[in-house]
Parts: sequence; C-alpha cells; structure tokens
Amino acid sequence: MGKVKLATSWLDACAGCEMSLLDVDEFIIDLAQAVEFTRSPITDIKEFPEVDVGLITGAIGMDEQEEEAKELRAKCKILIVLGDCACFGGICAMRNAFPKEEVLRRAYIECESVKDGKIPSSPEIPVLLEKALPVNAVVKVDCFVPGCPPRAGDIKYALSELLQGRIPVLPSEMMRFD
Amino acid sequence: MSDRKEITLTINGKQVEGKDGDTVLEVCRANEIYVPTLCFLEGLSTVGSCRLCVVEIDGERRINPSCTYPARDGLVVKTHTPNLEKYRRLILELIFTERNHFCFFCAASGDCELQSQAYRYQMDHARYPYTFPALPTDTLNDFLVIDHNRCILCGRCVRVCGEVVGNHTLDFSRRGWRTLVVADLNQSLGQSSCISCGACQQACPTGAIFSKVSAYRGRPTESEVIQSLCSLCGVGCEIKVLVKNNNIVRIDGSQLTGPKGQLCDKGRFKQVYNETPRITKPLVRNKKGDLEPASWEDAWKLVADKINDYKGRQGAASIAGFVSSLCPTETLDAFAKLMRNNIGTSYVDTLDGSSYRALTKGISTSSQDGKGLAIESPLEAILDSDCVLVVGSNPLESHPVAGCYVLRARARHKAKLIVIDSRPNTFGFRADIYLRPKDGSEDTLFGALGGLVAKKAKSAEKQMRFSSLAKAAQATGLDKAAIQEAAAMLSSAKKPVVIYGEGILNTNNPKLVARLLDLAKVVSRDGLKVVSMKPRGNSRGAWELGIANQNGIAKAKPKLVYVLMSDDAFEMGDWVPQADQAEFLVVQASYSSPLTDCADVVLPSPIWAERKGKYVSLDGKVGHSQKVLEPPSGIKDDTEIISKLAKKL
Repeated sequence: MGKVKLATSWLDACAGCEMSLLDVDEFIIDLAQAVEFTRSPITDIKEFPEVDVGLITGAIGMDEQEEEAKELRAKCKILIVLGDCACFGGICAMRNAFPKEEVLRRAYIECESVKDGKIPSSPEIPVLLEKALPVNAVVKVDCFVPGCPPRAGDIKYALSELLQGRIPVLPSEMMRFD
Repeated sequence: MSDRKEITLTINGKQVEGKDGDTVLEVCRANEIYVPTLCFLEGLSTVGSCRLCVVEIDGERRINPSCTYPARDGLVVKTHTPNLEKYRRLILELIFTERNHFCFFCAASGDCELQSQAYRYQMDHARYPYTFPALPTDTLNDFLVIDHNRCILCGRCVRVCGEVVGNHTLDFSRRGWRTLVVADLNQSLGQSSCISCGACQQACPTGAIFSKVSAYRGRPTESEVIQSLCSLCGVGCEIKVLVKNNNIVRIDGSQLTGPKGQLCDKGRFKQVYNETPRITKPLVRNKKGDLEPASWEDAWKLVADKINDYKGRQGAASIAGFVSSLCPTETLDAFAKLMRNNIGTSYVDTLDGSSYRALTKGISTSSQDGKGLAIESPLEAILDSDCVLVVGSNPLESHPVAGCYVLRARARHKAKLIVIDSRPNTFGFRADIYLRPKDGSEDTLFGALGGLVAKKAKSAEKQMRFSSLAKAAQATGLDKAAIQEAAAMLSSAKKPVVIYGEGILNTNNPKLVARLLDLAKVVSRDGLKVVSMKPRGNSRGAWELGIANQNGIAKAKPKLVYVLMSDDAFEMGDWVPQADQAEFLVVQASYSSPLTDCADVVLPSPIWAERKGKYVSLDGKVGHSQKVLEPPSGIKDDTEIISKLAKKL
C-alpha cells in the first residue's frame, strides 16, 4: 500500500493546532513514513491535489477560507478538523456578538496601537464574513478533534485510527475543550 | 417522613426499593443508578428544566424527566436506552448552540457540569447552527460576575437564592430563548438587594456565575480540599477550603443546601486573600523610636524582662492582657494562663469583653437568673419561628448566615419580622414592623410591649416591670398604634424568637438585656427562644473560659499591656483605650495596623488558615477549625509564642 496523501489547511486560527501536531514527538517519524504531506505549512505547496485525508485547523472567518474549505472537501476523501475553532468556532467566534463593521472599526481604527488607520478595502484581499463559523457549518466534516489546542496525544490517537481505517471519535476521558 | 411507605420499582430490569413521595431520580440515586443531571441540585425544589435526566417509563407516551416524575409502586423505568442517550446528546448540542459556551477562557473550565456532560457524551461538534447571541456580563458586584453567555437557564441560582438564602434577589426575566437571570427588577447585581453570599456561584453548574476572587486561581481537580470551620462570627459554618501550592483557591460551603453549609460574603470571599501587609518577623522599637526586625529570642527576652521589671516594681496588677476571640480556645486558654499563672495578674479581657459584661449582667438581673448563657437557643430555632423580633442588630451585616435564617423563615412560611433599633438599621426595611425608639428609651418600649402582650394573654408575669403605652410612646417618640401593632404580632406568634446584638450589647447597659429577656419571657409560649449575636467566632468560647474580666480593666490603668489580636481586623471602635495609656505595649498580630504601629514590641501571629483549634459557636456548639495553609517562614503558633515567653519569666 502506498502512502496516505494528506493535505492541510490553516484557516482562521492561531497556529496552536499546528504546534500541537509537531508536538507528537517521535510519532512524527512514523507519520512521515505512512503519510505524504502534500499541501501544508511545512511543504509550502500552494495547490490542493486529490488526497485521501484533508485536515483543517481554524474557523471559517473570511470568504477565501470558505472557498478553501470547500475546495479541500471536494478533493479529499475524509475531512478531519482540529481544534476548538474548527469544531465550534472557538476564539474566532468571540467576535460574533458584534456586527462585522464594529469589529473592523475596532481593529483598524479604534485600536490603541493604530494611528490614522483605515479599514482595508482592496478587492485583492479576502472579505470578512458576517460571523466566524465552525467548519461543519460550511462543509461536511468526518472527524472532529476538539481542544484549544488539541493535546498531541489526541492528534496522535485520531491520526493513528485514521491510518488504520477507522473514523475516530475521541473517548470521553481524552476530550478537552480547553 | 420516616414512616413513608416502601415502594418497589423496576429500573433497567432490576427490582429496586424506594419511598413513597420520592421522585424517580431520587430512587435511582438511592440505588446508585447514575442518571445525568444539570438543573437538579439536592435540597432544592425540582423544575425539570434541562431535560438531561429523561427516562423511559412503561405506559408513558413520551420520555419524562426523572427529577420531577413521582415514583410509584410497580413503575418500570429505563435510564440508558440508545434512544435516551441520543436525546441527551441532542439536548447538550442544543444547550451549546443556544449561547456562547466557549470553554478555553472560562473560569469554570475543568469544573463545569455542562462541560463534563459534553465530554461524557463525546460531543465533539454540534449539528445545529450556533446562534451567537450578544449577551451582557454583569461585573459590578464586589465578588460575583454573572456572564449570561454561559448560562444554561437551569435556575439553580434562582432557587438557591430564594429557597436557601431566602433573599430571592435572582429570578428570571423574559420568556423562551430570551430568558435572562436578573437581580431584582433587572438591576446589576452590585446595585441590587444581593448580599453577595455566593450561594448562586456555588450552585451554578457552569461558569455563568463565578467569583472574582477565585477565578483562575486553580482548578478543584488540582487542589487539595480541606474541611474546616469558619471562625469569623460564631455562626460556625462548615467550610471546604480548596488549596493549591499553599494558596487558597476557593472557599465553598461544605454542603450548600445542608445545615451549616451556607456561607456569607465574609466567609466565602473576603477570607480567600487579604492584601494588608503581614507581620512576618518580631519587631522591636529601637533607640531612634523606629520598629526594627529582631530575633525571636531577643523579642521574647525583651518582653519577659519588661514583664519582670513592671511586676517587681509596681506589682502584677500593673500588667494587663487583651485577646481577640477570633483565636481558638487553645490559644485563649494559654494566654489566660500566661496572664494569671505566670504573671499573676487578674487583668485579662477579650477585645469584645464589654459585650460579655452587658450580656451576663443582663441575664443575671433578669427573671432568667442562674442559668447564664444556657438560656439561649440554637440558631436553628430561627428557621422554625413564625415571628422574629430583632433588637439592636443587623444580622445580615454582623452574622449574615443567621440573617439568612430569618429571611428563609420569612420566605418559607411567612414568618413575621419586627426590628427594633435606635440606630439606623437596613434590616428594618425587610421587616413587617420597624420601630426606631429614641436612643436610651428601648427599655420603656420593651416594658410597654411586654405589658400589652401579658394583658392580651391574661398572664400575670410579676417579675417584669411593665410600662404604660402612653409613657412608652412619649419616651420613645413612636406612634402608639405602631407599638400596639407590634404587640399584637408578638401576641399571635406561636414560636417567637428574640435576636439581639451589638446595638444592645455595646451600650454597656445590662438593664436593656434584662428588660428584653423579660419581654422574651412574656412573649414565649413554648419555652424561651433567645439568640444573642456575639461579636466574634469564639466569643462564647472565650467567655466560657472566664477570660472576659467581670469588671473590665478601665479603672486599673495598667502600665504594660499585651494585646493578642492575631488576624482580627483593626477597627477604631475596638481600640483598646488601655493600650493608648500604656507605658509598654506588646502586640501579637498577623497584619500591620495602627495598633502595631504604636507598639513597643510586635510579635507575628498566624492567620485563621494557618492555625487549628476548638471554637464554640454563639449558640454553644463546639467545632474545630483545621490548618489549611503553612504559615510564612518564621511565624510560630500563638500557643508556642506564649509558652516560650512563659518559660522566660
């Protein structure tokens, strides 16, 4: 059997989940032997090929991220999401209590560290969605690993199960939302 | 209710026993069958609002919440079918999507019943769209925060506030998904009738109500839990102290809805940490007149030399000792022995000795003579009372849990409340009748009330000096009708209780106590029910040891004064006048205060959490506090300081 092809997508997130993925210690060697990393922050490949497993960290906060999630969903057989942002909206969803305009004004104009700020409006940059959403609000997700960030052990468990052909659900004693 | 009929149910195919009147959930719990719950809290009424405890019952069309379903003989119940588990997971997802339940920055994460149920049901995502409502957070209270984002509307806070605390500050506003827990008529908690007792915080299953002083200090799972006794006020509440890395994380009532499990703002929040600078080394006044650190040996030697010096030159009567009745009995006893046996002075007093003198003289000159403090009732008598007369006391300020007993009696069976106080007293605003006689005219009022009650009952209490209504109205400046109304209320009471406190005890007027006890005797049908609000945690213990000097020390003008105030809060009102006149002042204290500033020698003393010992509650019950923290290095136990000093005399 050839290597399992994996593509990852880092959406509205802080990199904590990626750090946690790197934190699996020597399992990363087993992983590298069993898995071919295609598009990922490590390989710097820009395009999604057709893959077996798609992995998303982060919520859907901008139109570009929505497109990216849909593209990866279309090109992968199994989609796994890591972290509270991807599973529930997480930190990114904290802005959802405020209208989008207020969020942008606070960040780009009113923020204490900003001088003569203006809200970026170039057509080349992605547009903030009205609300940050969990990934399963946009595309079908097959496997969820919550946690902020998920513990390295949780990620190892989920990936090991996937490599052995099972779709994992974290057991109660492993689940953490924080 | 012990003679309730035995019933037999079939739960999950097993025959189990229950009692008639139990709910299905109670039968499950009694038989160790776990049923998940959120809105249920033992000791509170059941409302069935969370629906997590649903069960299948043969003969019922739908699944039913077990917490509200009455158990009956022959019932066949299933608690864990796949169908029920499916619904429970669904309910959790609905709760999570209804509000903003994000755990990663929540103070209750790791200590949250909603979170642990979500883990239990492996809820790694929600299948429903999140509503992300914009909800307010109320942070104006000194100790409590209500974060509506995390509220699941279980109503445990509302029920505990109404049913246990008796204050009923919290309730629901609006309907359906717009429902919010509010204080009073939608005030912020800090501006409401809330007494900050924190019962709601302890009852809250999530982080919707959390304590400012305990947030992020540590998780219960990382903490050691130590059962102890709150030694602040003499109610003698049982506390559960959570300790992590020699820091107090949180203080909980041992059993929120059980006896002695309720706490107040002082016991629950103010004791968690105190930012007043600690005294950690013995301090001795040097030649320049400044206090400077000294070794224990030097400090002991200096104090011992001075004591020997004054004793030799002016006699033991030139030396006096004052001790705070926040100290446990062991310390009090050691201090009294040091003064009486080692030094030989009879001048020992507690800092609240004047209350003791008013109390004992009052009892001895009333018709209740000869029984001393034994005439007093247990605090729990308040809970059964149908009419509470509170005189010269605001129990919600001085002994908040005792105050809550009054509120609970009012909430549960509409007990009447009469407040008599010549000083402004906010407890009066909660009363049916609030009488404010002119200062010093209280005894006339007691006499008039006693006369009216005795006349109605046609009893011939000869011991009491009754006053006429007209005379009382003139002396007190009160309306005749108001006095008559209060007397009528007392007359119709079946189980009246009289509570009196600092307003009577601090007047140095034992006659007031005597007249009040006479009134209590006329009013009582079912034996005398009197409770006095003694000022501190071990006041009664200190007084039973005979530490409070019968005559006071005011006239003696002692030259060397030793004050063991430990962690007692320094208040100008408690100022020991003798300390001011003393030529040599020794203060043994935990915190720096104006009193330590003017001392010649300051000895460090442990705080409540760093000592253990015996306490006698205001109604005479013996309890024991435990050591929950290791003291900072160099701080010795009060008894050790005293015994080392005694050896040097």
